[in-house]
Amino acid sequence: MHGRVKVRTTEEERERKKKEQALKVRAYRAAMGRIQKKREAGELDNEMLTLTVQILQRNPDVSTLWNIRRECVLEKLSKLKDEEERSQQEVEEKPTEEGPLEDEPQEKEPLADDKAHSIFTCELDLTEQCLMVNPKSYNAWHHRCWTLEQNPRADWQRELQLCNKYLKFDERNFHTWDYRRYVTEKASVPAAQELDFCTEKIKVNFSNYSSWHHRSLLLPELYPNEQKTRPMSEEKLQQELEMVLTAAFTDPNDSSAWFYQRWLLGSGAQLDRAPRIAAFRLESHGAVLALDKPYPDLKQLKTELVGGEQKVLLQSWLPVDCSGTSWKCQQTFDYQRNTTYTLKLSEQEVNLLPLPGNEDGAFYFAPPHAVASCSKELLAELQTQLQSCLELLEFEPDSKWTLLTSALLMRAIDASANHQKSLEHLAKLEKVDALREGYYKDLAARWTLELELAKWPQADGFPRDFALPQDVILASLPYKQYFIIADELKLSSKLKETLGDLVPKTFKNLKVQNDL
Amino acid sequence: MSDDLPEQFDLVVIGTGFTESCIAAAGSRVGKSVLHLDSNEFYGDVWSSFTIDALCARLDQKSEPHSTLRNGSYNWHTTEKETGEQPWNRDSMLAKSRRFSLDLCPRILYAAGELVQLLIKSNICRYAEFRAVDHVCMRHNGEIVSVPCSRSDVFNTKTLTIVEKRLLMKFLTACNDYGEDKCNEDSLEFRGRTFQEYLQAQRVTEKISSCVMQAIAMCGPTTSFEEGMQRTQRFLGSLGRYGNTPFLFPMYGCGELPQCFCRLCAVYGGIYCLKRAVDDIALDSSSNEFLLSSAGKTLRAKNVVSAPGYPPVSKGIEMKPHISRGLFISSSPLGNEELNKGGGGVNLLRLLDADGSREAILIQLAHYTGACPEGLYIFHLTTPAVSEDPAADLAVFTSQLFDHSDAQIIFSSYFTIVAQSNKSVAAEHIHYTDTPTYELDYDAAIANARHIFGKLFADADFLPRAPDPEEIVVDGEDPSALNEHSLPEDLRAQLQDMQQATQEMDIQD
Repeated sequence: MHGRVKVRTTEEERERKKKEQALKVRAYRAAMGRIQKKREAGELDNEMLTLTVQILQRNPDVSTLWNIRRECVLEKLSKLKDEEERSQQEVEEKPTEEGPLEDEPQEKEPLADDKAHSIFTCELDLTEQCLMVNPKSYNAWHHRCWTLEQNPRADWQRELQLCNKYLKFDERNFHTWDYRRYVTEKASVPAAQELDFCTEKIKVNFSNYSSWHHRSLLLPELYPNEQKTRPMSEEKLQQELEMVLTAAFTDPNDSSAWFYQRWLLGSGAQLDRAPRIAAFRLESHGAVLALDKPYPDLKQLKTELVGGEQKVLLQSWLPVDCSGTSWKCQQTFDYQRNTTYTLKLSEQEVNLLPLPGNEDGAFYFAPPHAVASCSKELLAELQTQLQSCLELLEFEPDSKWTLLTSALLMRAIDASANHQKSLEHLAKLEKVDALREGYYKDLAARWTLELELAKWPQADGFPRDFALPQDVILASLPYKQYFIIADELKLSSKLKETLGDLVPKTFKNLKVQNDL
Repeated sequence: MSDDLPEQFDLVVIGTGFTESCIAAAGSRVGKSVLHLDSNEFYGDVWSSFTIDALCARLDQKSEPHSTLRNGSYNWHTTEKETGEQPWNRDSMLAKSRRFSLDLCPRILYAAGELVQLLIKSNICRYAEFRAVDHVCMRHNGEIVSVPCSRSDVFNTKTLTIVEKRLLMKFLTACNDYGEDKCNEDSLEFRGRTFQEYLQAQRVTEKISSCVMQAIAMCGPTTSFEEGMQRTQRFLGSLGRYGNTPFLFPMYGCGELPQCFCRLCAVYGGIYCLKRAVDDIALDSSSNEFLLSSAGKTLRAKNVVSAPGYPPVSKGIEMKPHISRGLFISSSPLGNEELNKGGGGVNLLRLLDADGSREAILIQLAHYTGACPEGLYIFHLTTPAVSEDPAADLAVFTSQLFDHSDAQIIFSSYFTIVAQSNKSVAAEHIHYTDTPTYELDYDAAIANARHIFGKLFADADFLPRAPDPEEIVVDGEDPSALNEHSLPEDLRAQLQDMQQATQEMDIQD
């Protein structure tokens, strides 16, 4: 077989791999054993750093080793500090003899500083190597943040470059995006610059939840909406809607764009904003209050009733149900007719209306998701988009995201005029996307109730009676807390049956039970 | 050197063009003794890349009846003394002659095409470097525009409305899925009809239709539905592999590719002699071997493969024009700024004449391909020949390109590549390869090489994977042994550190 190439067989190759594996395991065990012994002995020295490096470079997810490294770093830093203090003392003790010597302490100081800096650089280099092994290592990213926090001379610009580099390798690594937000804040990178970066990344690949999310954090800051009814200024919103619809049309099966679009079409509500008063009713023997979003304990918020000379703090709120949206208070109150009362909840202040009829009392009601009016330009954009969606539906009548989005667009344009049409889309969605049938039913119920609640103030018997038209079929009853101010709920027997125990409590219910 | 040459070979290959090199490599790879000869002093024959003075010399050369290249001409379009504004002229270009790599037969590779697959399969890819084609273009209303290829292209393009974007994506997805279901309505309905008819039935707009016809499926009005589908699938199947477009171009020109195959051939013991012609070939009927006389020496070969243009040419071989080529060098690129961002790269444009019956391929190369110095652009224009006058054949396309553009052409050249008009070959036992055919990729050339190789060595594998150096076992070594040197470097260092650190420790396995 002279001159012929001999290649290892797969068998031989497997054998080799096995041996290599065994060697690796031996090395790993030896190092881990040694590390543990040294830690018990409190030897947080250079050898310890070397040993941990060798394992972490292969497997960056051993949290214990990172903890040990942090101990080592802190130990080294404190030693440096001690040395520095000692040398300073020496200098102080030594009387200055000649002029030039005076400069010495100033020269020594940066020296110690440099040493500390090199310790940090070493840690940063290690995390960088580890992130090459596993770009999604929580431990490595965390250690990097920790190191930078310790270092007063941290170079944030360099970190920004690192983010750019990593996002070039993988534009969807959410760890890097998260880290980028941390870095840009530290480096005070202008939000406009960040937005440009984000746009570039979306151009490369728009199937990227991270970059859409990054946008959603930057835009409200850069282009705030004055009325707070939209996520950002209407002009910018128009551009964003255009961009995201382009993405959605390019690949309707990619959900990231559709999610971003829903956020754009929403009210821009902040998750952490304080709850607002949804409904309130007060009589001499007690009061009920509904919030538009759950709050764990209403007693934490200051609730004050002001009318004429009166100023009463409403206290001892008790939850009516477990959702944390409806509350009652059994405080007696001296209600004065012909007085205008206002209710204050934290920052919010609303005017109460007197209850119609003979009984004394006052109430307040604000229907959920009151539709914000929009500028002519935005309206035109929404209409163009709706038109595009409807055009697309001609070609692809079963396109799930197009059906849903056109329904959302119709609602954004005019919720009540397009109500029936948007429900038709949901009904179709129940068929074409049967796995999410329940979701669409719930959505239909929400939209219906939003409409009915918006119409309620104009109805006879408001706010004592609430009647749901017989032809309205609901799968569930959302916005239950809004009914707390009513006495009577006229729901279809079928809905009552569906709801069972979940039929919402009314003011009258509570009164009958002597809860008020 | 000729004294050292062995006298007995399994295979003698004459000509170092792409197809011949492919066969030589395949033969050598399966253990045949191979001698590869070329009377030229360069590799690649008509598949080669030239420096600019070598190209001029080649075009000046008087062509013989059997030459594969003829009708050569070239022109310089600069006056002798140029002002400082234009740094490039004849003299400055000739001074940098060696920085040029001018292809006689430029090709573009599908990222998942025959050649790329072959290079990967055979492990020859390690000898080659590529650049992803930057833009696939088409002419639309007299302008050169980029055709959106990838999903992000479609997303970013400003030339399509969102509904058009949806339609294009939907159409491409449908093409991609086509064929999975044989009873698909479309495939039944359009069987035997043209691709254009199918496209029209898809309610796509005119713009999308031209994107697909001109650049994606690269079809004509008569292309059948099946053929169009197949071409579209070929395009789509190559997307998303290496760059934004589905195409690759070899760095430093296509002339590199035959040499990659030659290199593999040599690694497996193939012997190379350039500047060595074969004077005569005779079949020794007693041993059934060929007797080749070359440089006063007689060589014995069991098989002979030859490129058609090499002497001794078998009688009766007749060459006719096959490809008309134009090669231009300009100091400014074609198309707008967007198409040539950052100095440009490789742009591909398929041109059609007025009634769509004739086509040409334009490949524009910038210096990033290593084929020319910075600041210059090469335009390779290729069309199937219709006459012995390449300039006339290409006139309709050059006027499309240059009449209303501000491209500063400094050098222009034309030539014809010929093909055998009949396969009737006197020496039947010699296998003649085909000259380059008009195609974008190398599919026909590879098929030709495969076919000839199959005839020569029916049972042998065509270019099986060549092992990487670390897989090769040195004589006398235990193949499963793991010595320190075969470990990755850092692991070796770690092991040494461990051994030091654990000298006094008890290791439990």
